[in-house]
Amino acid sequence: MHGRQVARWVVISLCLAGVAAIGLRVRSRRDVPMTQGDSVWRLTYDVSFRAPEAGMRLRVAVPDGGPHSRIYREDLRHTGLKTDRMRSRAETRELSVVTQRDGEFRLEARFDIHLSPRTRFRDRTTPAQLTAEQRAGYLRGFRTIQVRSSTVREQLRELQAEAANRAALVDRIFEFCHRQIVSDEDGLADARGVLEQRRGTSLGRARAMVALCRAGKVPARLVTGFIVQESVTAQPHVWVEVLANGHWEPFDPDNGYARDLPAHFLPARYDGTQTVRGTGLTELNAQFSITAIPPPGHTLARRGQHPTDILDPASLPVEMRQVLILLLLMPLGAVVTAVFRTLVGIRTFGTFTPVLVALSFVYADWQTGLAVLAAVLVIGLATRSLLDRLKLLFVPRLSVILTLVAVCLVFAVSLLDYYGLTPGADAVLFPMVILTMIIERFYVSTEEDGLSASFQVLLGTVLVGACCYFVLQGEQVGRLLLHYPELHLFSLALLIAMGRYTGYRLTELWRFRDLAVPVPDET
Amino acid sequence: MARFQWRFWCWPAELRRCGLLGMNGRNLKYLAGCNPRKHYPRVNDKLLTKQICLARGIPVPATYAVVERNGDVSRFPAVLGGRQEFVIKPAKGAGGRGIVVIAAHDGRRFTTPGGHTLTTADLRYHLSAILSGLHSLGGQTDRAIIEQRVVCHPAFDDVAVGGTPDIRIIVYRGVPAMAMVRLPTAASRGRANLHQGAVAVGIDLHTGRTFGGVLNGRAIGRHPDTAHPIAGLAVPKWPALLAGATELSSGLGLGYLGIDFVVDAALGPVVLEANVRPGLAIQIANAQGLALCLEAIDLRRAELPESHAHPGVAAAWPPRPHRGPFRMPARTNAETSVGAAP
Repeated sequence: MHGRQVARWVVISLCLAGVAAIGLRVRSRRDVPMTQGDSVWRLTYDVSFRAPEAGMRLRVAVPDGGPHSRIYREDLRHTGLKTDRMRSRAETRELSVVTQRDGEFRLEARFDIHLSPRTRFRDRTTPAQLTAEQRAGYLRGFRTIQVRSSTVREQLRELQAEAANRAALVDRIFEFCHRQIVSDEDGLADARGVLEQRRGTSLGRARAMVALCRAGKVPARLVTGFIVQESVTAQPHVWVEVLANGHWEPFDPDNGYARDLPAHFLPARYDGTQTVRGTGLTELNAQFSITAIPPPGHTLARRGQHPTDILDPASLPVEMRQVLILLLLMPLGAVVTAVFRTLVGIRTFGTFTPVLVALSFVYADWQTGLAVLAAVLVIGLATRSLLDRLKLLFVPRLSVILTLVAVCLVFAVSLLDYYGLTPGADAVLFPMVILTMIIERFYVSTEEDGLSASFQVLLGTVLVGACCYFVLQGEQVGRLLLHYPELHLFSLALLIAMGRYTGYRLTELWRFRDLAVPVPDET
Repeated sequence: MARFQWRFWCWPAELRRCGLLGMNGRNLKYLAGCNPRKHYPRVNDKLLTKQICLARGIPVPATYAVVERNGDVSRFPAVLGGRQEFVIKPAKGAGGRGIVVIAAHDGRRFTTPGGHTLTTADLRYHLSAILSGLHSLGGQTDRAIIEQRVVCHPAFDDVAVGGTPDIRIIVYRGVPAMAMVRLPTAASRGRANLHQGAVAVGIDLHTGRTFGGVLNGRAIGRHPDTAHPIAGLAVPKWPALLAGATELSSGLGLGYLGIDFVVDAALGPVVLEANVRPGLAIQIANAQGLALCLEAIDLRRAELPESHAHPGVAAAWPPRPHRGPFRMPARTNAETSVGAAP
């Protein structure tokens, strides 16, 4: 058969293309000699905490590259957590995760950093555009930055006397904080205390500088980041940024760098000192480590972005990771569905309904998903049988069911809340629409083929859905697919091979079993 | 009745040996290869099927009226022209949905065979519902057919409960390949739907006689309600029925299809509808695999000049002795005139 031949060649060439693509990618990731002056580092966040219940949130400020550094690859590992929508406060890139259960959690994030002292990855000339409100925020006092305290004002007056203009004042403040405040890691950490005692921690000195700047009506802020150097227990380092001539200019009173920082200063949080913070979490413990790693191929030869980066989904930001992994796992769900339908012969409502049900269960947790499934089925079938008497058209009929199911679910949630068991909102939302469709199909199939036949199909849908759920849960497989998306060439080959399969389905071996029985002689 | 060796399972090799056609094989080798998509509307729209039948002289239930617009609904009892019995059905309905049978009426009150009474307003509402696509697949707008009510042939009186049996013939490349009759039971509520408990009975293509039945996938010898034996029934006017099936398959331009007939007491076999995806249960009813029949037809067709329909092929098609749990009635050579045009 002609089609069969073509399909065979397509399958073979897809497999070969898959092998070739994986080979190319492995080769492109192989290490190459380092370019002069550049270096590659890995910063690892290891955060552990305990959550008293589900729905607790942890916010992690993650580096987004600096003037001389860029993040070229990042990875995120955790279990029982859900990456939430990214919220960017000021310029900080903040990763937000929500717990899905109570208990202990661990989150590990890895950032591979390319440092290049001679390259500017970020254009310095882009002016910082501040609204009046933001500007006021950068001049305001704080519990640890006592702008209005007399100590700060007096000190400022003293420094102002020596400075002719604003730029000179900032320089004077920096000189003062760097030279005349003694570094003492056991000392105080608030601006007033540091200025009174003339000694303080590095954080205290930075706060003192911010307080003096703000008191002098110069917008200033703290920046927390990392000094990239070999360290198993790296500590976040705090420095100061001052708004001058429309640009944020960095000052490090601790190390004495002014107006520009060395390449290995990697900012993570702007206008704040916490890299990791959580609400309602206990035993929150964050550890950071920085190690030099061998540079991967071509990464260092490039300056900034390159079109071939498009082909590497692993270089995308970590907060998109979970959705991307889910997307890449979807074809595996389709493979599972195809196996069940064409090889096993299990009937389901709709072709990809099981995959969608599984997806909705991934978004919700499966207990809530099952509860919603049961509730929607009961409400839906009850209303559907009542609606049958009204004899409505297809789309309005389906919409009526959806409306009733939605309203009933809201009251069900309200009931649960009354007894103190509030489920997550998206746990309810996702399964609902898909399940409403199943109700209609179930009802029609009951009408046409009887209850037992439609229960068989429902059972088939749930079974295939459960298998898809386990596939979509496969974080390890998903991460592998993210690094080697060309693995899906093999999925395509498998699907095409299945598409040409003309043999018996597994259930047909049962269905037609009588045909294979030899005729017994009648006596 | 043959006793079965009790088992849950059989090996693919065993099924292959008896030539069983599986779902994947049917879809890929026969449906995709023989049935051009563009001809599907001829089968899905029963009015189109009817027109093709009429053009080729194949008997169908007489059409009394076709309601195409909502404006025509008000003319409903008038269009009957005084006929007492009639059937209302959607042109694109599937699975027997939306069919109303009326056995008698006085112009205002309409009585179904089951004894229910409906008013004119009820039936007009039903017609509107059909037009707006309530019973059609995917909810497309539809047309309603008002046609002659088929009266069950007395040959099936003892084995049909609450409805009319229909005869399914699988026609491959213009040659009837396999046939069965579906007998309604009390469990199926008069419908000839195998899922709901109708009995499927294999028919010997050469003689038109039934030879044993299947209920819910297991072989039975007698009708579950009347206890009448279901083997050995002769389908009336069998040659005409085969000829009609052959003729219709060439008219529809489809290479692999199932054609459903009912036998009317007066008209003889009439075409009810055709199906592009005929089910595989017919193999259980016949205790024979379909793949071997289809391959035999392929071999046979290769020897003959290509044309749409060859009643002669059906006649000359060498019958394979049936294997399976049922005992076959003896075949004689005298019966090879099957398929000659009536």
